[in-house]
Amino acid sequence: MLEQLLGGFAIALQPTNILIALSGCLIGTLIGVLPGLGPAATLAMLIPLIFSMSPATALILLTSVYYGAMYGGSTTSILVNIPGESASVITTIDGHKMAMQGRAGPALAIAAIGSFIAGTFSVVMLSLVGKPIATYSLLFGPAEFFALMVFGLCTVASLTGTNVLKSIITTCFGLMIATVGIDLVSGAARFTFGNPFLSDGIDFVVIAIGMFALTEVVVTAREVRSGVRAEIIEPKGIWVKWSEFVYSLPSIGRGTVFGFLVGMLPGAGATLSTFIAYNIEKRLCRNPERLGTGDIRGVACPEAANNAASGASLVPLLTLGLPGGGATAVMLGALMMLDIAPGPLMFEKHGAMLWTLIASMYVGNVLLLVLNWPLVNVFARVMRVPAKYLMPIVLVVSTIGVWGLNYSDVDLVITGAAGVLGYYMRQHKYPIEPLVLGLILGGKMEQAYRQALIISDGSNWIFFEKPIALVLLICAVAFLFLPVILKKSKQFAAARATAEAS
Amino acid sequence: MSSLRLYATRARVEGLVILLVGLGYLWEAHSVPEFYHVPGVPGPTTFPYLLGVIFAVCGAWLLVSPKDLIERLTKEPDAGTALPATAAEPRRGLVARVASEWHLIAMWTVILAYLWTMPDLGFPLATFAVLVVFFYLLGETRWHVVLGLAIASTAIIYLTFKTGLNVRLPLGVLDVQAGQ
Repeated sequence: MLEQLLGGFAIALQPTNILIALSGCLIGTLIGVLPGLGPAATLAMLIPLIFSMSPATALILLTSVYYGAMYGGSTTSILVNIPGESASVITTIDGHKMAMQGRAGPALAIAAIGSFIAGTFSVVMLSLVGKPIATYSLLFGPAEFFALMVFGLCTVASLTGTNVLKSIITTCFGLMIATVGIDLVSGAARFTFGNPFLSDGIDFVVIAIGMFALTEVVVTAREVRSGVRAEIIEPKGIWVKWSEFVYSLPSIGRGTVFGFLVGMLPGAGATLSTFIAYNIEKRLCRNPERLGTGDIRGVACPEAANNAASGASLVPLLTLGLPGGGATAVMLGALMMLDIAPGPLMFEKHGAMLWTLIASMYVGNVLLLVLNWPLVNVFARVMRVPAKYLMPIVLVVSTIGVWGLNYSDVDLVITGAAGVLGYYMRQHKYPIEPLVLGLILGGKMEQAYRQALIISDGSNWIFFEKPIALVLLICAVAFLFLPVILKKSKQFAAARATAEAS
Repeated sequence: MSSLRLYATRARVEGLVILLVGLGYLWEAHSVPEFYHVPGVPGPTTFPYLLGVIFAVCGAWLLVSPKDLIERLTKEPDAGTALPATAAEPRRGLVARVASEWHLIAMWTVILAYLWTMPDLGFPLATFAVLVVFFYLLGETRWHVVLGLAIASTAIIYLTFKTGLNVRLPLGVLDVQAGQ
């Protein structure tokens, strides 16, 4: 195996390929910074380019762009409170508060370090146990997937809101939006009201930009006008302090492990892993009440989870041909165009290619860290642009993000409606994150639900008869009602107070 | 206490809206034609029914529970801070409220108008207009700065996305005039 890995490095370290990887990381980071243009959209834009390349070079480009975009997404979360893609939604909670306290530099730096550690860990794991561990994901049938997604949504609902009922309502609404469009199984048009533009469904980017970006523009504008907008303190230190690094190391470790484990499940993806890792962090770490107030661990943990999951999601992609999320789905398409069919036989049939890919991921991780060292400085300074000039530009760039998806007028109108609704929700303590996650997972969740019911001949008992599914569902309910039960505990009261302040 | 009552009333209204949306959703799911259903197989409406029922029940709960809400709120000393700024002066007339909130309403009107008209009006023109208005609304009153920034940003964004990232941005009105 080591021999094969060294062979992979020999190809990945060729000058052309290093150059490709470097520009891939740079392009990925820059595009990932733009709100709405996440890894999936970035990879999709690059597909026409890769036809002229050798398969190995093409793979290196795709993975480096993927990594870069995953990292770039967290930058806007920290600096302007707008997640660049769904996996960095959680990073906004602590990351943006850190930036407001003049600690944008350390926040960006710990995101880079956490990503590097987690990315390297996941690649090492991928090369060591990728093949044997792939059999583990075969244990998950539709019923288990459905339970897993219920679990994911419940952890998010219990994490983000101050009121469980409101969290359930927004989660449910997100799932309801996901059912709009033509049902892929039966072909029935659902909730489209005869509008052909709705038959493809509503892309989560359309809603996410409306709810995150537009509301952020308006909220900031109001703060600027009424003079309560906190002046952004000039970043003191750009790089992270050694004590802060040691402080956040356990969180990076936990985020990495949970991120990898969750990311390996096909269909779970990086987004879910960040939510679950942050929530587990909140239950496990010392002084959990500090999380949510601009704690560096609140950036380190989800960012590590995010990148560990990105690496881990390649396990089901390469061994089972099952993409873990939007970005890996686009990669799957690209691989097939290169005449490489991922699946159980991939290790035998395209072994050399696979090891080149893995080697290029090691290289990509190092390049990303080297690249972000100087970029942290640049991005932290973007923060110094006054909000009154930055926010209108954010509005325009976000609009392009929505327009560029389908070139559809209807998308723009839906974004506007989502913006108004999101503003109301933000003002009245309805959490937005569960809605967006529900929208992302809705399609897969319905698919798993229906497949499970087909297996059980329409009986809902299947979710309670399968042990893994049952355990997940019990955990889900526990997560949801734990806050109610723990209401009197002091620690919880403190955590709730911080959540309310956010 | 009046703000608490307002809070409870609003929760009630929200509950009613959620209940109605849930029922409307269930009604829409119900009106999916029968021939899409295969007997014995979960059809296109199985999952929506589940969601609609949960949503409607949550709405109904919010509708009937404000009494409980008030009790809980009075126990929590920080309940007042949870209320938005508008609720602090709820007794003023509608006109006065609109006047005090004109800035917010203006911003949303501009954003919605931009999203609505951009495809027809064309990206450069609509973006220039929205930037001018927004810079102004955000407190930049020097006209040469507003106009200069708006023109420069529109041009840079247009060129970056059009040529750099190959996003098709509509020229709209400008396109028609160029064609004539």
